[in-house]
Amino acid sequence: MTPGTDSKPVIIAMSDASDAYEATQELTSMLYRPDLCGILFFCSAEYDLEQLAVALNSSFTGMALVGCTTAGEITPRGYDQKSIVAIGFHQDYFSLESSLIDQLDRFSLSDAQTQVDQLIHSLRKRSSSYLSGRCFALTLLDGLSSQEELVLVALNSALGNIPHFGGSAGDDIQLAGTHVFYQGAFHSDAAVLTLIYSGLDFEVFSTHHMQSLATKLVVTEAEPDTRKVIELNGEPAAEVYARMLGVPVDQLNPKAFALHPLAVKLGHEYYVRSIQQVNSDLSLTFYCAVGNGMVLTAMQPQPILPDLETRFADIEARIGEPLITLGCDCFLRRLETEHLGGLSEASDFLTKHRVIGFNTYGEHFDGVHINQTFTGVVIGKKVVT
Amino acid sequence: MKESTDHQPSYDALLHENNRLKKINAALIERVEAGAAFNTAPYAAFEHAATLADQVRERTEALSVAMSELRETNHALTQANLSRTKFLAALSHDLLQPLNAARLFTGALLDHNLDGELKHLGNSIHRSLQDVDSLLGTLVDISRLDAGVIKPDVSCFPISDLLDNLAAEFQQLGEMDQRQVRYYPSSCVVTTDLVLLARILRNFLTNAMRYTPPHSRIVLGCRRRKKAVEIQVLDQGVGIADDQLELIFEEFRRVHTGADPQDRGLGLGLAIVEKIAGMLDHSIKVQSIKGCGSMFSVTVPCVEPNTEGVRQGLVKPMDHQALDLSRIWVLDNDPDICTAMVSLLTGWGCQVEAFQHTQALEQSLLQTTDHPDVIIADYHLDEAESGLDGVQRLQQDYALKSEVLLITANHTSVLRQQARLLGFKVLNKPVKPLKLKVTLAHLVRQQRVKA
Repeated sequence: MTPGTDSKPVIIAMSDASDAYEATQELTSMLYRPDLCGILFFCSAEYDLEQLAVALNSSFTGMALVGCTTAGEITPRGYDQKSIVAIGFHQDYFSLESSLIDQLDRFSLSDAQTQVDQLIHSLRKRSSSYLSGRCFALTLLDGLSSQEELVLVALNSALGNIPHFGGSAGDDIQLAGTHVFYQGAFHSDAAVLTLIYSGLDFEVFSTHHMQSLATKLVVTEAEPDTRKVIELNGEPAAEVYARMLGVPVDQLNPKAFALHPLAVKLGHEYYVRSIQQVNSDLSLTFYCAVGNGMVLTAMQPQPILPDLETRFADIEARIGEPLITLGCDCFLRRLETEHLGGLSEASDFLTKHRVIGFNTYGEHFDGVHINQTFTGVVIGKKVVT
Repeated sequence: MKESTDHQPSYDALLHENNRLKKINAALIERVEAGAAFNTAPYAAFEHAATLADQVRERTEALSVAMSELRETNHALTQANLSRTKFLAALSHDLLQPLNAARLFTGALLDHNLDGELKHLGNSIHRSLQDVDSLLGTLVDISRLDAGVIKPDVSCFPISDLLDNLAAEFQQLGEMDQRQVRYYPSSCVVTTDLVLLARILRNFLTNAMRYTPPHSRIVLGCRRRKKAVEIQVLDQGVGIADDQLELIFEEFRRVHTGADPQDRGLGLGLAIVEKIAGMLDHSIKVQSIKGCGSMFSVTVPCVEPNTEGVRQGLVKPMDHQALDLSRIWVLDNDPDICTAMVSLLTGWGCQVEAFQHTQALEQSLLQTTDHPDVIIADYHLDEAESGLDGVQRLQQDYALKSEVLLITANHTSVLRQQARLLGFKVLNKPVKPLKLKVTLAHLVRQQRVKA
């Protein structure tokens, strides 16, 4: 790779115009360049998606464009909302190849193998000096499809040792419809898999900020297909959870879910299982797979910044100051931070570490669907030789 | 409903609690038994993936610890190897200087008409020095090859440039030892590193000489291959048994001792051949019949003879009168070398002047417009500038027309390339009188053609 002298490896553009055409126009002025090999965008679900698709298609004809709707964007201003943010990747530093996974419930291991093989084949054709260690995978997935686990476990087998991260698309806690964008259209019940090949140093990571408490709850009745937990410890789930928090059931809302998460312990790790909503039958719907006999541990979130600071310091010690960090940050973390009054401080931190991304309905890390984490990739400025 | 006392739970409450525990128990049993059915149930898939990720993380950590230990060990070994190479390079440089002087003195001595006993002693000194020279060269070569210091300097040249000389040299040696060297010239133009290829062929020819009994034949010739030429050395020597063929390329391996009891080979020759061939990507072949003889060959890529950049006639066979009345200036900071060179060159009919500093040479240039035919400059002068830089400067300042021959103990291809760009010839220390004579004759002829 021999980057041109005036080329920036990534170009970041954003707009908070609420009109889809106006917003697209603002992105186009910065991103319509022949030397970009692909654009990744995250947009508020408040945009008229049909209009946005038309606008994007007419402005970025012939460009590889992938993206998804969010529960909040991370822009150069930090935590943002009702906006669209896009990253253009320069062809001298990156190669991108994407494919669409539709009909998520029928996605099999052999489909995964075929898609991954094709993407790797295309990348090899693009860069003559393709090296397997220089590639990572990004998944964007319909956040209300309830299909993350099976899709990701299939992809994980096919990706082998290619590092993987991603996020589930959001819709500002409306829980009405979440979308991914691929080849000119928004899709639901679908996912976009993108392989990104980079000549720059990078590190994929995931982090959370939780401590475990003593209380354990066992799922005694669940509906796996709808991710509903009907009973905890043999009693209606919402009642048990509300009692643990010391609040009446009708006060259970996303803020309460953010501040009082539950997690499954596997091996040495705690994996938060986030609650999406309370149903009228006093069951709880989760953002992730549930099953009978699952043991949930009550967790205590800590402020997100000290943990993020430690993780970034650690990574930056290895790969230097970030060129950009692509971040998938659970929307519950943002709610919690907002509640604790740390939003502007957190925004400053994200800006300083060049984080661009979105608030998710769940994160993906090496084939595992996780909740209430910050998961992403730090891309450094050093060209790896 | 039954009455309950303050300190005893009611029967209903106990029943309820009991049912609750049964449910929990059943759910946990279900989970445990579901175990590995991860490809159908989403939660099981999550558990499977997470457990896998946890294991991968643990192994990655263990692996990275092992890797960093390996890196440290590797670093230490690299350092040790580097210092060994540096030591050898320094050692060889310091040894090459006096050896160079000794060889030149001996060459000058032998040019006098010595009688009987003296001549015999002189020849013995000459041969011993040759042995020291070749042993030292071999040791240095193998260490440099191992350390990756030697980088090929590939160019196009007619193969006859190299083979004519080698043939002449070994024919002369063969005459002394009563072995006949037959040479079949070829018009091929090859793409390779001349010096390294010469090294390979020299090893083949030396081995052939070593293992061929007196009064038998050695053949040096070429066979055309597809876009390549196979340069072969055939001998009528003792041959090698099939099961020994692999072994001969190992370091310090000598399958037979040579025909000559005085022979002092180290058994490194073919190991060097293999390393060089690997570096140049040339294939080496060996065929042998025990008791009948062997054929060693190296296959080198060929180009069409009219390709641009072909080196023109490097060194032509000896011309005995070529050096008569030629004017040679020698620039060397070592007074012993200067004395030896003057004595040697005068013996060949040259008119020689020697200078120990660039300044002194410059003084002479100021006094005459009649420039020498050839300037022989040592690369390592005890001056701010190297011999190469010094002569280049003089060339520019005085419109110097003389041919330049650079003598150096620095065997790097960088220096060779640099010299080639300037049109300078290079000879490596220790300088062999025969080679010096041939090279000088060529330069003088070239100079006269120009004039």
